[in-house]
Amino acid sequence: MKRPGKLSVIAVHAGLAAAVAITLYPVAMVIKKSIEPGKNFALSASPIPHAVTLDHFRELLSTRASSGELLFLRNALNSAVVAVAATVIGLALATSAAYALSRFRFRGRDVSLGSFVVVQMFPATLLLMPLYVLLNRLGLLGSLFGLVLVYATTAIPFCVWTLKGYFDSLPVAIEDAARIDGASAWGVFYRIALPLARPGLAVTALFSFMTAWNEFILASVFMTDERAYTLPVLLNSAVGEHAADWGLFAAGALLTSVPVMALFYALQRHLVGGITAGGVKG
Amino acid sequence: MKQLGPYALAAAAALVIALGSFAAYRNRTFSEAEVARAEAAAEAAARGQKAGPAVIAAAVVLAPKKSARYPFLSHRDAIIGGRTVSLGGPGSPAIHKRLYDAANHCDDHGAFSELSGDSGRVIAAIPTDRGTAVAITQPPSPPEPLPWAILGGLLAIGAVVAYCGITVGGAARTIGLAVGASGLAAPAYIWSGAIPAAAILVIAVAVAALDARGSLRRAARALHEGRIAYAFLSPTLAAMVVIVCVPFVVGLGLGFFDHHRGEWTFVGLDNFAHILSGGGHSLADPLNFWFTVAVTLAWTAVNVILHVTLGVALALVLRKPWLKLRGTFRVLLILPWAIPSYITALIWHGMFQSEYGAINQILATFGLDRVAWFSSWTAAFTANVATNTWLGFPFMMVVALGALQSIPRDLYEAAATDGASAWQKFCHITLPSLRPALGPAVVLGAIWTFNMFNVIYLVSDGQPGGSTNILVTEAYRWAFERGERYGMAAAYATLIFIILAGGTLGIGWLRKRRAR
Repeated sequence: MKRPGKLSVIAVHAGLAAAVAITLYPVAMVIKKSIEPGKNFALSASPIPHAVTLDHFRELLSTRASSGELLFLRNALNSAVVAVAATVIGLALATSAAYALSRFRFRGRDVSLGSFVVVQMFPATLLLMPLYVLLNRLGLLGSLFGLVLVYATTAIPFCVWTLKGYFDSLPVAIEDAARIDGASAWGVFYRIALPLARPGLAVTALFSFMTAWNEFILASVFMTDERAYTLPVLLNSAVGEHAADWGLFAAGALLTSVPVMALFYALQRHLVGGITAGGVKG
Repeated sequence: MKQLGPYALAAAAALVIALGSFAAYRNRTFSEAEVARAEAAAEAAARGQKAGPAVIAAAVVLAPKKSARYPFLSHRDAIIGGRTVSLGGPGSPAIHKRLYDAANHCDDHGAFSELSGDSGRVIAAIPTDRGTAVAITQPPSPPEPLPWAILGGLLAIGAVVAYCGITVGGAARTIGLAVGASGLAAPAYIWSGAIPAAAILVIAVAVAALDARGSLRRAARALHEGRIAYAFLSPTLAAMVVIVCVPFVVGLGLGFFDHHRGEWTFVGLDNFAHILSGGGHSLADPLNFWFTVAVTLAWTAVNVILHVTLGVALALVLRKPWLKLRGTFRVLLILPWAIPSYITALIWHGMFQSEYGAINQILATFGLDRVAWFSSWTAAFTANVATNTWLGFPFMMVVALGALQSIPRDLYEAAATDGASAWQKFCHITLPSLRPALGPAVVLGAIWTFNMFNVIYLVSDGQPGGSTNILVTEAYRWAFERGERYGMAAAYATLIFIILAGGTLGIGWLRKRRAR
């Protein structure tokens, strides 16, 4: 392919740099706010702080719940437990369903496939009240396990779609060969298909984890005790109705986002292939 | 025995219905008997007679007297077993509290009797000229056991009838199945009337008819052939049904009720009529449903167009082979996706603040006027769109990058040899290859944007005057900010679902028609 002129190369690089600058600006503002003294959001547009302090982090990490526990750490632990558990359960369910939908032709296949799309259209507000009643009946209201159940299932439709696409893109020949050699249906799935689908699984796990880690509305309605809060609920209370403390919020936002960003960075290689493998095939 | 499969199917369904009608019958007779006993005990107490067996407490509670020390408290005495006792106070038994409450309730609302579902206790209270007679009873014996002998006997007789019919074959098979499976209709009729009995009869006849048409055998074969697939699929489907589908159906049902201070009243289609007629607001009023629909559609369209355009453009640039620092650019551009959307929304809300928000500071440095971002519809809508575009373009970019990877480079080289211009290459090679991957992504992105609660709620919060609300935030406000009108919220959510499902079906239909 021919190389364009020097001027347009520079223009493209400058354009991309501008796009990156716009992308990074809000992030830079959060970093700035988290290390700048004061509670207000911003007194200048410059992303460089006028003074540096670690007070916000110190305050965030040392705030105690009424029970004497360190609130942020406790809530971070809640978030981590919920997100990991929801990912494991959700992924296990989504993988087997996606495999069935990709590899087998059976009655009701199209209906189940369609229903996974339709489910995406249920507004969370519609599910909020009935779920509240359901969890209340099961005695799971305010418990982390209830949250895990809800997150795992609500993440399933999207996971099934991406994973089904990924399985579709894998060659069937290896699995057929294994079957001829006498492998059971479970053996083919567990020993052949799963290892091959690892990149797709990684990306799907990432989405599952993010959905649970970031969810805010359901958690804020279901969780009433501050010790059972997840991070989004805690963070929102920092900029609640009365006294917004943006410094505290920024510090918390940073600490909350870092794990997800690290996961994203680690998996970004697989991201491009993992999400579109199925789409390309239609 | 294997031939009895259709019978087993019908019998299992009939058994469930029969057990249900027995439970209903048992609860009804039990509560009637217990309430009658409690009322008799209260009357006995009113006449000063001794309480019968299994009566926990029977008393005549005398009229309340104001407490001397605390005028807001009132004090009641009761005659229990001929002695006058003071109700309440330190060390008094817990049952006295129940007597006190029941007497108060009776004074306010008249005679009543109430069965507590868990323990089977009944509290009955009747006003008398001496005071309020109250009795609390405990059931003397456990409820009737399930009539297994009757159920089992009828099932066995039914099995024999069905087996005979099946052995003879032909029409006898169908008749035998229908008759054999309807046996349980008789006790169900005795216990709970015509409805459960009719249900059992319908099931029996339906199973017999399906069996005659061979549908059952075909379904069984399909189930058997697809058993591995079903085994893989069923745990997920079960979880989805319990956590998503059941609440969804309940949510749809709530749309037909009105909720006011904890009371649900059935109002039929009133909620929908109220919403669809605009609720008495003019079309230009933000509280009119159709105004919100228009805002939501504009919101979705603008966002999806921006996401796709930006995403594809950046993906195309990122694919240029001569690009320096490609990996770095890509990672940094995906970053917004990695940040929780509620954090993003709150940050942008802060940056759009009119006094010291960063955006206005930047505008000021360029010599532009400050904008009061949340006081005009256009500005507030722009702020929402800017936030959501920042949030949403990386997804489309990643999808486009993936789709571009699958285009062989030879295609471009061949086109170049044929003298195609860059624009022609884009229209005839790039776009067609993007479509299969972008199509589903656009549908998914449109659904997400349509229901994007966080950005609207946290950035503009519907300002000014609720005019930037979209349908989801409007539904949320009905539920949580306008006096817990859950019924209205559910009706709103139902309409959202109908619009989205209709839209997606319409797009699918159009695509199919064009493909043909």
